[in-house]
Amino acid sequence: MAQISAKAPQANASQGHHTSRVLARRETISAYLFMLPSLLFFVGFVLVPMGMCLVYSFLDMGIDTSAATFAGFANYIEMFQDETFIRSLWNTVLIVVVSVPVVTAFSLWVGSAIYPMHSKMRSFFRCVFYLPVVTGSVAVTVVWKWMFNPYNGLLNQIFGTVGFDWLGDTRTAIWCIIMILFTTSIGQPIVLYVAALGNVDRSLEEAAAIDGATRLQIFWKIKWPQIMPTTLYVLVITTINSFQCFALIQLLTRGGPLGSTSTLMYYIFDMAYNYQRFGYANAMGVVLAIFIAIFSAIQFKVAQTDNG
Amino acid sequence: MKKRAISRRDFLKVTGAVSAAGLLAACGGSNSSSTAASTAGSTAASTASGDGVSISLWTYPIGSWGGTESKLDDIIAAFNEVHPEITVTYETLDYQNGDNLVTSAITAKETPDIIMEGPERLVSNWGVNNLMVDLSDLWASTKDDIAAVSESVVSACQLDGAYYEYPLCMTTHCMAINYEVFEQAGALQYLDEDTRTWTTDNFVKAMETIRDSGLAAVPGIIYCGGQGGDQGTRALVNNLYSGTYTNPEHTEYTINSPENVKALELLKSMVDNRSLNANAGFQASDELQQFANGTAAVTFCWNASNKAQYASQVTFTPYAMAFPSDDDVPELCGGIWGFGIFDSGDDARIQAAKTFIQFVCDDENQAAESVRLTGFFPVKESLGDVYEGTDQAEQMGEFASLMPYLGDYYNVTPNWTAQRQNWFNMLQEIMVNGTPAQEAADAFVAASNP
Repeated sequence: MAQISAKAPQANASQGHHTSRVLARRETISAYLFMLPSLLFFVGFVLVPMGMCLVYSFLDMGIDTSAATFAGFANYIEMFQDETFIRSLWNTVLIVVVSVPVVTAFSLWVGSAIYPMHSKMRSFFRCVFYLPVVTGSVAVTVVWKWMFNPYNGLLNQIFGTVGFDWLGDTRTAIWCIIMILFTTSIGQPIVLYVAALGNVDRSLEEAAAIDGATRLQIFWKIKWPQIMPTTLYVLVITTINSFQCFALIQLLTRGGPLGSTSTLMYYIFDMAYNYQRFGYANAMGVVLAIFIAIFSAIQFKVAQTDNG
Repeated sequence: MKKRAISRRDFLKVTGAVSAAGLLAACGGSNSSSTAASTAGSTAASTASGDGVSISLWTYPIGSWGGTESKLDDIIAAFNEVHPEITVTYETLDYQNGDNLVTSAITAKETPDIIMEGPERLVSNWGVNNLMVDLSDLWASTKDDIAAVSESVVSACQLDGAYYEYPLCMTTHCMAINYEVFEQAGALQYLDEDTRTWTTDNFVKAMETIRDSGLAAVPGIIYCGGQGGDQGTRALVNNLYSGTYTNPEHTEYTINSPENVKALELLKSMVDNRSLNANAGFQASDELQQFANGTAAVTFCWNASNKAQYASQVTFTPYAMAFPSDDDVPELCGGIWGFGIFDSGDDARIQAAKTFIQFVCDDENQAAESVRLTGFFPVKESLGDVYEGTDQAEQMGEFASLMPYLGDYYNVTPNWTAQRQNWFNMLQEIMVNGTPAQEAADAFVAASNP
């Protein structure tokens, strides 16, 4: 009887363990089913194209894809001997290095400035700064193109420099692109920062204030650590967007003058569609992906937090 | 009877499975047949349905064959009165992104059946890459008729004996002046209004006169950006000192010849003394807009189609002129437009596409109207003056007077697509960067020659 009573809990435990395993398996299957649609999208529209890009980068392939021949590493070797590629790489890095910190700092400043405002004013400013994001790059570009027009443009009328070609001068063209990119990039970070500041623990701020902390100390010691995950996200997203800056260049300067606004993204397009060198363009795509991965990894490392 | 309840988990599983199945179906595409209606915006997909055949047509903005006021619905309706068994869908392209769309379609194997443009694309780009159908059978009965107007048209549409384009119309690209500004500035004395020609020396004097008069914000703009409208600046450079763009065999580019380099140096000196401006950020459309605004006194990118497009904007008389030349014998760049068929491997669709092309180009009731809708001139002698007795007659007479200046059609030279990009890079080097003309022209030739 004692034996029987001793086995019963064991059997129950075994049955319970079996039941929990079945439950776990069911939960796992359900979870995978939920993931399946996005997984299929990810495989179909990210992994497979990446694989194809890698394979094509080793081919000498033009518009007649059936005539493609294996080129080994020739595309990669040519890339680093190509002055326009080097120029485009430099321009891309310049855009990233200038635009990422400026966008992040400005967004944080604006977010901090409008967060304490009345909710209606806060919404108004969020709308104002978000407007260029939802307007669409084509419409934004058309307006800027008119403003930069050498003969009838607003900027030259204001500065009294009629005839000066902002987008046609190698000294100013890239800065014009960076400025427009700035206006279209700050909307989302500002909205994110306003939301993040709303989640900062008020009691900690109040306690610090009672202890005599200055506003600057409260910001750096209390708020900054708590909005760090948002900052990391803003840094990564802005970096990727800056690396992939394309529409503005395609619509405004087409990489000119003399390649001064050509970026890696635009040069890839130029090689693929204007020069119809698909193998070479794919090789540059691979290199661009590697650069973005490296930059993102550095940012994750630098901005690493305990919870982020 | 016990009613079986569906648990939340079962519901979620089924939902997940259905979503996945739907996604797979969406990604997998469809091979089902369908008969598309004759409406704009269709894709290249066209399938046989019953006894009928559905084909697709893509057109660049060639007069009313494309653009915002396309008359393609009328053309297709006229075609369907004769051939109701063939359904034609169409899509209009623009010159900014059209080539990119076609390249994407080629790589995705989603090309249209018929495409309308010129030999520089149909023959030199897509034909040479074995993507087009040989249209020799269409040419068999009309070759002499076309050759009677211009042998250049015949040679431009073929490559190694295979005809990849069946032409509909042609024109000469020219330049235009703001007649009133020239008149008020006293610059009309430098041009021959009877022949619409001027010498290089007189062109220089005229532009300096316009500059000194201050009647236009800028005498003229050399646009150095973009990819389209290159025929204007090419013809300007070639004519100034009678240079050529390619060798007679159309196998090599010759822009680094002494005549062309001298012309480039002259233009640079005019930019330096402000009798011309050079804008690296300007495309041909930007320059045309400045001409239409009255900001610039001349445009280097003019033809009948552009005149019609900007007619509602100009408040002056745009006066078509040949490009200036040292010997007073201009050679203008020609434009040829017609149809090609992408090789889909489907004989029924290819045959239907040929039927459509023959209808719009050769049908005795339709051909003249097809040409009129382009705003250009017929390539066939038998069509005669298609504008006679129409309200377009006066305007077209202006451009018809320039047709005798039609020069060599060299747009079939290999590497044509890439050289267009190189051309603008070269102009930027010389006009904006100050690179010596010879050096920049040599670099262009090295980069462009096959």
